[in-house]
Amino acid sequence: MSAVATPSRPAASQNASSGMSTKTLNRIVIYGLLALFAVFYLMPLFVMLVTSFKTMDEIQNGNMLALPRAPTFDPWLKAWGETCVGLTCAGIKGYFWNSIKMVVPAVLISTMLGALNGYVLTKWRFRGSTLVFGLMLFACFIPFQSVLLPMATILGSLGRFGVTLQNTVGTSFGLGNPTVNLVFVHVVYGIGFTTLFFRNYYEAFPNELIKAAQVDGASFFQIFRRIMLPNSLPIFVVTVIYQFTNIWNDFLFASAYAGTGDSMPMTVALNNVVNTSTGVVEYNVNMAAAMIAALPTLIVYVVAGRYFVRGLMAGAVKG
Amino acid sequence: MAFLEIDGLKKRFGNVEILKGIDVELEKGGFLVLVGPSGCGKSTLLNTIAGLEQITEGEIRVDGRAINDLHPSKRDIAMVFQSYALYPNMTVAGNISFGMEMRGVPADERQKAIDKVAKVLQIGHLLNRKPSQLSGGQRQRVAMGRALVRDPKLFLFDEPLSNLDAKLRVDMRIEIKRLHATTGTTIVYVTHDQIEAMTLATKIAVMRDGEVQQFGTPAEIYNNPTNLFVADFMGSPAMNLIPATIATKGNALSVVLQREAREPITLPMANAPAGLSAFQGKPIIFGVRPEALTDPEGAERNASNIATADLHIEVVEPAGSDTFAVTNLGGKPVVARLRADANIQPGTSTPLAFNLTKAVFFDPATEHRIR
Repeated sequence: MSAVATPSRPAASQNASSGMSTKTLNRIVIYGLLALFAVFYLMPLFVMLVTSFKTMDEIQNGNMLALPRAPTFDPWLKAWGETCVGLTCAGIKGYFWNSIKMVVPAVLISTMLGALNGYVLTKWRFRGSTLVFGLMLFACFIPFQSVLLPMATILGSLGRFGVTLQNTVGTSFGLGNPTVNLVFVHVVYGIGFTTLFFRNYYEAFPNELIKAAQVDGASFFQIFRRIMLPNSLPIFVVTVIYQFTNIWNDFLFASAYAGTGDSMPMTVALNNVVNTSTGVVEYNVNMAAAMIAALPTLIVYVVAGRYFVRGLMAGAVKG
Repeated sequence: MAFLEIDGLKKRFGNVEILKGIDVELEKGGFLVLVGPSGCGKSTLLNTIAGLEQITEGEIRVDGRAINDLHPSKRDIAMVFQSYALYPNMTVAGNISFGMEMRGVPADERQKAIDKVAKVLQIGHLLNRKPSQLSGGQRQRVAMGRALVRDPKLFLFDEPLSNLDAKLRVDMRIEIKRLHATTGTTIVYVTHDQIEAMTLATKIAVMRDGEVQQFGTPAEIYNNPTNLFVADFMGSPAMNLIPATIATKGNALSVVLQREAREPITLPMANAPAGLSAFQGKPIIFGVRPEALTDPEGAERNASNIATADLHIEVVEPAGSDTFAVTNLGGKPVVARLRADANIQPGTSTPLAFNLTKAVFFDPATEHRIR
């Protein structure tokens, strides 16, 4: 009995150890590759970050990847308050606020409209509602470039209407203002996506809750405000992140409809900072400006990122 | 005049007729159960009463007032849903008082109403919890509380117990029955469970394919089914429906049941229904409930018409309170219900007693009862 058992023991342990080593090897390969790609992906951000804290001397004479020898915050301050955007040299702070003024209303309006659309398309189905949804989905597939000219025509008309209003009523209601124009464009362009998000979320929303609220005497908007919206946090966060990132980062519409003057958004201003061709190119200031431009989207992801994943998964598993 | 009257109600989706002319009425304080297999239109009927679906034709009256064109909230009804439909973002108290809030009832009155309902349903300690923190039975209570607090003319229940486990279902069934007895409310209740229907109802409407097959008290439905479907659907285990023929022996009619590999059984019918004489020599369906086919000692002593026959037992199922024996007659398995301690072995022949006063007959062509 024991004679049979003894020789088998080393063989077994050998198997176990070789199995262990393949497993470790697999781990090393997997984590090695992951680390490699992470480094590759994070390299530009790293270069931007270190460059933004270096002096011009160090940039011109040193290694691009080296850490700053004497970290300085001056490039950030200069980018924020002094650098030249085109011909005005008052930093990018004004344009940063331009972007905020554009992005906050655009995100909120498009998200609320998407929620309302999703609510109607799932809970108040009407003849042809599927077709309407299909057409709205189409908005997600239209390339940005193709709407540039028609949109410019529409914005032109709205601007002229604004002037008429100004002359007759005394206020233009913001029509013709470049920031208002951009909010309008982003809301129109965003509705397709926000409707898609909310419709798919509300599709899984139990109909009996709506019926119960109807029996309780709640009106169309009361049901929306008291029942639907309070139970939509995950998809709300997803939509806000998506819209915020897209609208903040948009360059094409911004440069087409607000490409000059005081109301240009951050992205266009950043482009103009980098393109300003007076004297030496201040890489550290440019990098700092780019970092400032990227910061809001980064913050939104960090703050709300876990909801983003949860929201994308919402409805996948019955909770 | 009945309290709830439904007259010639029809509901069409495009060309499809979902409800094909429903006529039902219920007295004040009654308990109407709509029962039937899935897709029979019972939930649609309930939704039309609630106003969640529009009707195509007919009229629904509550307390003499036509309500079919009113908004759900104006019908003075309350509804308990299958999934309970508790608002997940509100506390139990918020759920119960939401309807009052929508109707603009002042906060102190709402609080009084909440406290009263919480006391009746014993959910006072749960008032500040969210629905996700409640068990199934507690959610059920809250859903009933939300309905009770309105003190409506009519309660509607849409399969309220189907999401509960078996034991809790029995408890809640008793609870609902007690609630009905103490509050005296008028209830319309949808279920596909015929035991719930039998135990709760004062009136049952058995539905199939958008039509009421039979409308009556539970006893009428159970003992006097009007057609084959009702006979088959109500009762557990189901009624034995055996293909048979009618023979004449002198003046008396008798039922002939075929057996496997043995001569047929002939059961003399002393008090056959009048219509049966027209079926001499023709096939019929002979219906007998399992409890009317039992061991001779266990048969009802005061039943006037009992016939005994030797039957070959194929399977014996002891169920604790009873023992079920399965035999084969007319090519179909037939269940007999015996005493729990009945001494019976599968594979043997045993004399069993048919209680023919409880027997019913159906025309296999029309599926109608032969009376």
